[in-house]
Amino acid sequence: MLSKVSSFGLVGIDGFAVQVETDIIGGLPRFDIVGLGDTAVKEAKDRVKSAIRNSGFDFPVKHYTINLAPADMKKEGPLYDLGIAIGILAATEQIVGSSYKDYIFLGELSLDGTIKKVRGVLPILISARKLGFKKVVLPYENVEEARFISGMEIYAFSKLKNVVDFFNGNNMTPVKPIQPKNFEDVCKTSANRLDFENVKGQAAAKRALEIAAAGGHNVLMIGPPGSGKSMLAKCFSGILPDLTFEEALEVTKIHSVAGELDLSKGIITERPFRTPHHTASTVSLTGGGNHSKPGEISLAHNGVLFLDEFPEYSRSLIETLRQPLEDGYITVARANQTITYPASFTLVASMNPCPCGNFGAKDRTCKCSPVQIRKYLSKISGPIMDRIDIQVEVDNISYKELNGAEKEESSAEIKKRVDKARKVQLERFKNSKNYSNAKMSVPQMKKFCPLSEECQRLMEQAFTSLKLSARAHDRILKVARTIADLEGEENILPQHIAEAISYRGLDRKYWNV
Amino acid sequence: MTEKEKFLVLMSRHEISNKKQEEIIAKFEIKSVGDFLFGHDLEKILSKDEIEKMRNAYDKAELDGSIENMQKSGIQILTVLSENYPQKLVDLPDRPLILYCKGDLSLLERKGVAVVGTRMPSNYGRLTTEKFSKRLAESGLVIISGLCYGIDEIAHRGALDVSGKTIAVVGSGFNHIYPSTNTALSKEIAEKGLLMSEYPPSFVAKKYTFPHRNRIVAGLSDGVLIPEAGFKSGTVHTKEFALEYGKDMFAIPGNINNPKSELPNHLIKTAQAECVTQPEDIIEFYGLQAEAKKNRAFSLNFDEQAIMKLLENGEQDFDYLAKNTKIPVNILNSCLTTLEIRGLIRKLPAQTYALS
Repeated sequence: MLSKVSSFGLVGIDGFAVQVETDIIGGLPRFDIVGLGDTAVKEAKDRVKSAIRNSGFDFPVKHYTINLAPADMKKEGPLYDLGIAIGILAATEQIVGSSYKDYIFLGELSLDGTIKKVRGVLPILISARKLGFKKVVLPYENVEEARFISGMEIYAFSKLKNVVDFFNGNNMTPVKPIQPKNFEDVCKTSANRLDFENVKGQAAAKRALEIAAAGGHNVLMIGPPGSGKSMLAKCFSGILPDLTFEEALEVTKIHSVAGELDLSKGIITERPFRTPHHTASTVSLTGGGNHSKPGEISLAHNGVLFLDEFPEYSRSLIETLRQPLEDGYITVARANQTITYPASFTLVASMNPCPCGNFGAKDRTCKCSPVQIRKYLSKISGPIMDRIDIQVEVDNISYKELNGAEKEESSAEIKKRVDKARKVQLERFKNSKNYSNAKMSVPQMKKFCPLSEECQRLMEQAFTSLKLSARAHDRILKVARTIADLEGEENILPQHIAEAISYRGLDRKYWNV
Repeated sequence: MTEKEKFLVLMSRHEISNKKQEEIIAKFEIKSVGDFLFGHDLEKILSKDEIEKMRNAYDKAELDGSIENMQKSGIQILTVLSENYPQKLVDLPDRPLILYCKGDLSLLERKGVAVVGTRMPSNYGRLTTEKFSKRLAESGLVIISGLCYGIDEIAHRGALDVSGKTIAVVGSGFNHIYPSTNTALSKEIAEKGLLMSEYPPSFVAKKYTFPHRNRIVAGLSDGVLIPEAGFKSGTVHTKEFALEYGKDMFAIPGNINNPKSELPNHLIKTAQAECVTQPEDIIEFYGLQAEAKKNRAFSLNFDEQAIMKLLENGEQDFDYLAKNTKIPVNILNSCLTTLEIRGLIRKLPAQTYALS
């Protein structure tokens, strides 16, 4: 007897349909799974066998052949367990009727017949809906993740027995599909975050971060240890515009595939903030590897990638950021496959000005030699510097300032201005692919950043008297555009240019030791 | 170039001490480099090893060729025997017998002030050095220094910034400028000022060559200005030489808690140096016309005036300015940049600003 059951696999962050075919023939007892499965798939046979027996069903001693089609795609992970079990039960006619054929089955089985959570449920559901599938059976643990998919009939079970009862109509109470949830309702219960209100002083850095948030610019913070760079960065995600539902789905998809999703919540409502340590390997940052998972930069998609102590990261690691910073995605080519993960993030990096960290600090003296300082600064290559629009210096604040009664602006107030500026940009870029000033192309810059004569004169003066490098020119224009948007000005004015220039600290010669 | 001078070039390649060089020049006539090198006269002064080394490496065509190449690439070779040897150095006890120069030799005749000090100046040191070197250069004094990091570099750049004249005396050959990051600066100085060294172009700097060249810095100058230096600094050598040669000493007083101000403060305390607090002190000392301060033709707006007023009390950081002027951060940022572009203030590391 032969049965066919639908399931889904994952490649990158997209699902693909898998057909689980079960054939039972006479002869010597055997259990084979074919179809390019990894070890987890091969081991399914033992889990499935026990799960079927322990759920009170028969597992006749026969020759089983399971084929996972298409046979040329790699299948990874235990999510086919449930499909295989249903296939066997159908082939042995322990499931009546053929209604199971309309469903997709996802789930790992434990030996006692419990259905356990799997990763990648959301991307699979999105792909399945696109392919025209309507009905799904999935683990109860993954139910929250599935609540945001409309237009599908989704059932969640925690036991294999319940699934079979559902198809055989043996349930005491009728099983209902899960209730969809509204994204907006979930967003309201956002967690406590660090607030700019708690950061004393640092007016310049806060302003720089506000501009960065408004225009999607990458930021580099330079300052001695203990000056609050990390704290400022942590507050940064709080002033970014809210995730839209589409963005949230995309972020959730990536986190679901990586198995990093908070299953009790099901969807990610806040912009991710990722802080990989500087000992991280290249693969952990870019993604890929044996079990092809998205890396840190993809997990930071639509959010913030914070690299603390920037020069401590290995040179090759920093250089791998070049493509994603430019294109917003990363393509990982490995022996078996080439996968593209989205990776459109805002880079927030922080560094000390020198190895000991005190160069330029008011209250401490630097003990580094000029050569050491130059070496330290040159660890960040020009091309990477080119992709960082805003460089801002942060210095220690005094005890008096720390305990001052002065009230600082809260993140919510800053966010209001950021939202306004973003709205202007969405309007400006509605017919193009990018959506922020930071990603403007050269023709777009020509079109959207016209400079008055006065502005041009200022630029020229600045270049000669402050000795800016040529690469600073475009960065200054982009940042000036964002500043103008924040002020609600249609044209870039001289004061916007002047402010933008102040964020090019590292291009300046005074940094030369 | 005479054969005797050529022999000096040869000796400078092999690090023969100045004393021995002087002796050879004084005692012997040299008709031909080759004959002299392989003759017996040399053995009276140089050690066997030294002679052996020189003889092994000697190649007439190569020596002549390299001298020609140097001259082609704009390097002028001054020796004690030549007419254009700087008058200021002639009577020095340990004078260099040969000088490789690139640039404007007439600067050697002009009044010059050496500006020397620590390699790692504080913000105060940076600012004062730049201010002094600019004003002194503007008034016509030649700024002399050693092309090292820190004070040296700032002094040279300051002079160049105001199209003034500067002389850099390096402790290495021209092809191996130390620190290498100043190679570009050395080229600029060779073009607009004078670059000089007592070592041949291919000579790589050694530890002893830096204090050694300080005697030339001191010798060439009429006065030595020390903005910032510690007791262990190489500047101590320059000071010693300058006092020995009877040059004028100037020191800028500094914070007594700052180790970088130890030397200038000490010099002032022990009356070894003139205490100077403004560039005009030195300019007037030499009887030069202190150029009237440039009229600031900029009209400042209200905010800018407020900032300038606060900065008059010394350098301040961004947060302090923001808090005390009550100017919104975005306006403050743009005001500071505009003031800086106009050259009225200076930005220092760590968001600190000061009047320039």
